[in-house]
Amino acid sequence: MSDHPKKFALTIISTILITLLAFLFLFPLVWMIASSLKPEAEIYKNMDSFRAFLPSFNIDQWGDAYKNLLSRFTVLTYILNSLFYGLSVTAGSILVNSLAGYGFSKFKFKGQKFIFGLLIAMLVIPGETIIIQKFQIVKALGILNTPWAVIFPSLAAPFYIYMFKNFFDAISNDVVESAEMEGAGSFMIYWKIMLPMAKPAIATVGTLSFIGSWNDYIWPLMVLTDSSKFPLQVAITNINNTVPVYMNQVMAILTISTLPLIIVYLFFQKYLVQGLGVSGTGEK
Amino acid sequence: MNNSLAKRNNQGWLFIFPALLLLTLFLFIPAILSIYYSLTNYYMLAPQARKFIGLLNYVNLLKDPIFWTSVKNIGQFVLLVMPLQVGTALGLALIVRKKRPWNTFFKVAFFAPVVVSLAVTSVLWLYILNPEQGILNSMLLKIGIKAQPFLTSPRQAMFAIIGLSAWQGVGYQMLIFLAGLQNIPNELYEAARIDGANKWESFRHITLAMLKPTSLMILTTTFIDAFKLIIQPMGMTQGGPLNSTITPVYYIYRTGFTDRQLGYASAMSVIYGLAIIIFTIIQRRITGAGGSQNV
Repeated sequence: MSDHPKKFALTIISTILITLLAFLFLFPLVWMIASSLKPEAEIYKNMDSFRAFLPSFNIDQWGDAYKNLLSRFTVLTYILNSLFYGLSVTAGSILVNSLAGYGFSKFKFKGQKFIFGLLIAMLVIPGETIIIQKFQIVKALGILNTPWAVIFPSLAAPFYIYMFKNFFDAISNDVVESAEMEGAGSFMIYWKIMLPMAKPAIATVGTLSFIGSWNDYIWPLMVLTDSSKFPLQVAITNINNTVPVYMNQVMAILTISTLPLIIVYLFFQKYLVQGLGVSGTGEK
Repeated sequence: MNNSLAKRNNQGWLFIFPALLLLTLFLFIPAILSIYYSLTNYYMLAPQARKFIGLLNYVNLLKDPIFWTSVKNIGQFVLLVMPLQVGTALGLALIVRKKRPWNTFFKVAFFAPVVVSLAVTSVLWLYILNPEQGILNSMLLKIGIKAQPFLTSPRQAMFAIIGLSAWQGVGYQMLIFLAGLQNIPNELYEAARIDGANKWESFRHITLAMLKPTSLMILTTTFIDAFKLIIQPMGMTQGGPLNSTITPVYYIYRTGFTDRQLGYASAMSVIYGLAIIIFTIIQRRITGAGGSQNV
């Protein structure tokens, strides 16, 4: 076939193009990690050569930026804060939203339709535009500059309630009724039977809330003043503004705050795609 | 109807109560407050002087040149980032879908920026785009292009923010497009080939046609999300130079939180929030029930 050489050339050209494109996408991240693994002076020296994307040739220097960063700032505290907020928000939002989803799915009570309609309507309120008023509430509750200010407002979400309700709707009422016959109370049925069945919904809501909480920047910046309570994302700005600023140390803190997310994405990618409908695109 | 069902009636309230309380406190009341505050001259440092001033904030808002600049800026951002990001995402999905060695590597490469938070993105690109010591200008100089004032020029700053926002978000949409592509049955392509369709025809009539719901969903969610832009201009340019990157959400934040003009900021929240709500409702109409049909 005369087609083959042409096809072969096309494959080569497209492979070269896509490799270049992949480099374009990766270079900021490769540069970030490489720069965190070399002395400050070397970063500037390497800037216009391929060596910008390679760590120091002297392996002994790899940990220096990290060591100095850890001695200048309480990075470990920031990491623990981020983990604490992230895990609390994850556990709390699974609990609060699954309870509500279960309540809407398996109970009939007065005003149910109205409240659920209101909930769906609340889905359209753009949270970004009311942060100032939300701040006033948190201030009035007297929880400013406490972990509660970070955690409480992130727990309940109409979309997660809707997801749990849909999931519980798909489980037959017979399951609930036969458990009631055995004399189990409503909360027992929820906790022992329904919640364990909802693992896929739990994984999706959990993944989305952990990532959301870990990446949250503006809200914790607003409600926390005491830097010992800062999560990593807020601490980054602090570190980047504290003179003297060392580029390799900044790159180290950026790398540190990205690593846990890589792990979450690797393990929970499936659940992310499941929840993608609303969580959108990343511009915020 | 048996007894237990009747008993279960009121217990339902107990289950929805925690969520209802939190949503009321942190979503419903703030939304109501923004309407109420917007009709007052509330200044955060002088709460006792708060009084009703009718629609004065709204009148002032219409005459506020910074507000209109922010609206113009976000319009520019939305109109450019949408085709750039969604088009690139579709292109990448089509490339990555094909069987070729290293395919997984490419998929990971294009997805990698998604893992980076916007706070990290902002600081990282601040160093990449630095006019004097940034790596991008160093590399441009090397190939003979003179250094560019990416973030310090009013003409370039928004384009820089558009570029890095697309870089950060595009991999996620690629993944959604890939999921959509996987749902197209192979038989359709085979049938088209038997019917004598060429590559372009089968792309147009099968791939694009079958991707329509996915594309619509991605387009509309990107559109609405783009209106909420704040972290990149806040972290990189503080809305400058010359207000060229200030966005409405960032202007609301600055007026309400930094300048403490709560009444005025609330009027802005109401107007801009309403605009987003209208777009969201239109989006729901276009794509059916809204994002949730994909779950």
